[in-house]
Amino acid sequence: MGLDTPKSMLGSRNEEPGGELRLGDIPLSQTVELVRIDLPSEGAEPLLERGVLPGCQICPVRSSPTGDPIVSVDGSLLALRRETADCLCVRLLSDAS
Amino acid sequence: MPTLTADPCVSCAQHRAKSLVRLGISTDKWDYLIALAGNPNVGKSTVFNELTGLRQHTGNWPGKTVVRAEGAFVHEGKRAKVVDLPGTYSLLAGSADEEIARDFVLFGRPDVTVVVVDASRLERNLNLVLQILEITDRVVVFLNLVDEARRHGIAVDPVKLERELGVPVVQGIAREGVGIDDLLSAAHEVALRTDAVTAVRAEQYTAEVEAALDHLVPEIHNAFPDTPNARWVALRLLNADEAVEGAVHSGELGQLAHDESGALVEITAAEVRHRVLKKATSLRWGLPSNFQDVVTRRAYQVAEQISQRVQVRGLKKVGIAFDQKMDEWLTSRIFGFPLMLLILAVVFWITIEGANVPSSMLATLLIDNGHSALKGLAIGMGVPWWLDGLLLDGVYLATAWVVAVMLPPMAIFFPLFTLLEDFGYLPRVAFNLDSLFRKAGAHGKQALTMCMGFGCNAAGVVATRVIDSPRERLVAIITNNFSLCNGRWPTQILIATIFIGALAPSQLGGLVSAGAVVGIALLGIMMMFLSSWILSQTVLRGEATSFSLELPPYRPPRVWQTLYTSIIDRTLIVLWRAVIFAVPAGALIWLISNISLNDLSLAHHAVSWLDPVGLLLGMNGVILVAYVVAIPANEIVIPTVLMLTVLTGGFAMGEGSGVMFELDSVGATGDLLRAGGWTLLTGVNLMLFSLLHNPCSTTIYTIYKETRSTKWTAVATLMPLAVGLTVCFLVAQIWRLVAG
Ligand SMILES: Nc1nc2c(ncn2[C@@H]2O[C@H](COP(=O)(O)OP(=O)(O)OP(=O)(O)O)[C@@H](O)[C@H]2O)c(=O)[nH]1
Ligand SMILES: [Mg+2]
Repeated sequence: MGLDTPKSMLGSRNEEPGGELRLGDIPLSQTVELVRIDLPSEGAEPLLERGVLPGCQICPVRSSPTGDPIVSVDGSLLALRRETADCLCVRLLSDAS
Repeated sequence: MPTLTADPCVSCAQHRAKSLVRLGISTDKWDYLIALAGNPNVGKSTVFNELTGLRQHTGNWPGKTVVRAEGAFVHEGKRAKVVDLPGTYSLLAGSADEEIARDFVLFGRPDVTVVVVDASRLERNLNLVLQILEITDRVVVFLNLVDEARRHGIAVDPVKLERELGVPVVQGIAREGVGIDDLLSAAHEVALRTDAVTAVRAEQYTAEVEAALDHLVPEIHNAFPDTPNARWVALRLLNADEAVEGAVHSGELGQLAHDESGALVEITAAEVRHRVLKKATSLRWGLPSNFQDVVTRRAYQVAEQISQRVQVRGLKKVGIAFDQKMDEWLTSRIFGFPLMLLILAVVFWITIEGANVPSSMLATLLIDNGHSALKGLAIGMGVPWWLDGLLLDGVYLATAWVVAVMLPPMAIFFPLFTLLEDFGYLPRVAFNLDSLFRKAGAHGKQALTMCMGFGCNAAGVVATRVIDSPRERLVAIITNNFSLCNGRWPTQILIATIFIGALAPSQLGGLVSAGAVVGIALLGIMMMFLSSWILSQTVLRGEATSFSLELPPYRPPRVWQTLYTSIIDRTLIVLWRAVIFAVPAGALIWLISNISLNDLSLAHHAVSWLDPVGLLLGMNGVILVAYVVAIPANEIVIPTVLMLTVLTGGFAMGEGSGVMFELDSVGATGDLLRAGGWTLLTGVNLMLFSLLHNPCSTTIYTIYKETRSTKWTAVATLMPLAVGLTVCFLVAQIWRLVAG
């Protein structure tokens, strides 16, 4: 929605202590929480609309014949491209609780 | 929590018949207008079909509906018109199909908007509901797919949801007709309601934004007096939305509000339109650049909160393991591709094996018996030879051949394909192929349009509306013809059976032929990649945009319904089209075979004139003439080839002079072709050329309608033809070199 401003609205850009985790680094079937989407708004918008929102729980379930991840989010399966997955900053659930 | 087992008394057809009269497509006059909106693949078209009795295509993948469909019914004495819209995730539409949905919801002035939502993915679906509630209170939410949510261990309380949203919420299972009656009454009530309700409003703007809106909205009203939802337009302008700015700039915005009535409105004067844009720009300077982000973020939060309050999660899941296992195989790194090929091969194999017997039965009935019986009758009645020839040897034979050749494979192939589609396999194919498409610079969803092209290229071209980038959409349109369409499958299957399957021992013939057809289909896919890549490197230069595709859950297909719709809607419609084109083609073939010039028929002249070219391409003059005759529809290539071979080759049909042929089996058809000088090379090259040539006239016209460009239509028409001529030429030369 309306993310027409050049800078990303999605969470702060501050470096988190202990380095950044990307969805692309998460092993299969480990559920993590999405922190931020590092994409310009045109790229982030389709993700937001499909329920990939900061704060949601997301879990890579499989990778495709060509190595792109399939993630499960809000009860549905979403096929992402690898580059997209590398733009999703996540944190482990144990950190959050 | 209300139970979901339908009250048998309420959901039975008889009860409904009292209040609901389905009117199909008659929509001349209506008392109220219902828009069916919602996220993709939530069952809008299924609800539409339940309401109107129509059979709008449904399919288990996002993006099945890309154009508006209209229907009507009568409920309690009031006529209602229903509009089925393409799915959209939000009102900030990206692709052409989503724009259709958005424009109708905003400017089509529906009396009630039914938002169909998926109960198992409530949060995401609520985003769209909240956006629609920003612009209208006349909304009914239909909480669909309750059965599927249950399987996933999710239950939603419709009463609580209704309280949260402030508009009626009805739950149901559209596919089984559950909840449709309640939906009817709710929509009826809302449409005729006069008092206002208070629906939830998620978007709250700061005072300075509201002040800017107060300035801008009157300007918009002034420029476009009839436009509903000026506030929405104003907000988009303050957000510098290029599409909306464009609609204001061109004056198209004024017309949008009248699309329904078909009336042409006078375009607002240019300076008035410019004043709106200038005003918006100047107001925008005074606002914080991220004002919309803040509001949007809050709207997402509201959706999340509401869905948490009304949902019960973590109930026992039923049968989910099956879905997961299934996906593990079908999209697996190792098995994904092989399984895809295997499924394709099995579909063809069933088609080839199954079509054999009915095809020869039809041929015996229509051609051998029917034709000679009619001939006898005509002679008995003393019909002049030319009339009997034109009607029976021309028109009747061509039509009979089309039916015999086309009907059995289509009646088997279509239902199989539709079952796969309904099951949810197509998006998996798209997913498996995505990275190849990306490497070719094309959009991942092009794989979906490719699959639609396997049915019909014209449909595939229309389906490209799901692709939001214009460049990638154009690539998808231009290369769609490399998807082997249903008009060409029977040709492939017949020729493969005659020339390739016959090489194998007879038990394996069917499998080998199926393998050959799969090979041709794969070659088409490879040509699609190659040409997409070349286009992306040259005239349509660019990178593939990012892409995320939703994989719908597997939904058990409704076998009988699917069989019924695919046979009635698809098979018979396509067959009808083939027959319509076969009638004039049959007449034409007979005429050119019987009108002589210098003692030789026109057909002879054309065939022998094109023969050298045909031989150079590894085919013959008959095939080339057939392809010219068959430009209107690929379906008639084989009948034309057979008729021209018979009429120009000195063979006679049935009793009579010359060689006698009874074309009641594939083997006999093969003998005829071989007697006409065909070799294995002719067969192979015909298969190649059938894959690689210009689209049929319907597809060409559709390409023009979708692109509005003569240039791109020409490219899409001539490029595959050039490829086909080149490939056939090369194959013929190499073949002859190798074979000596
Ligand atoms: N289990 C179940 N399946 C349903 C229900 N309603 C629809 N379906 C199935 O869901 C799939 C999608 O239905 P459609 O009606 O094509 O969905 P749509 O919203 O029109 O989809 P788009 O046109 O792509 O936006 C089909 O396979 C339907 O048979 C339901 O209540 N329960
Ligand atoms: Mg639909």
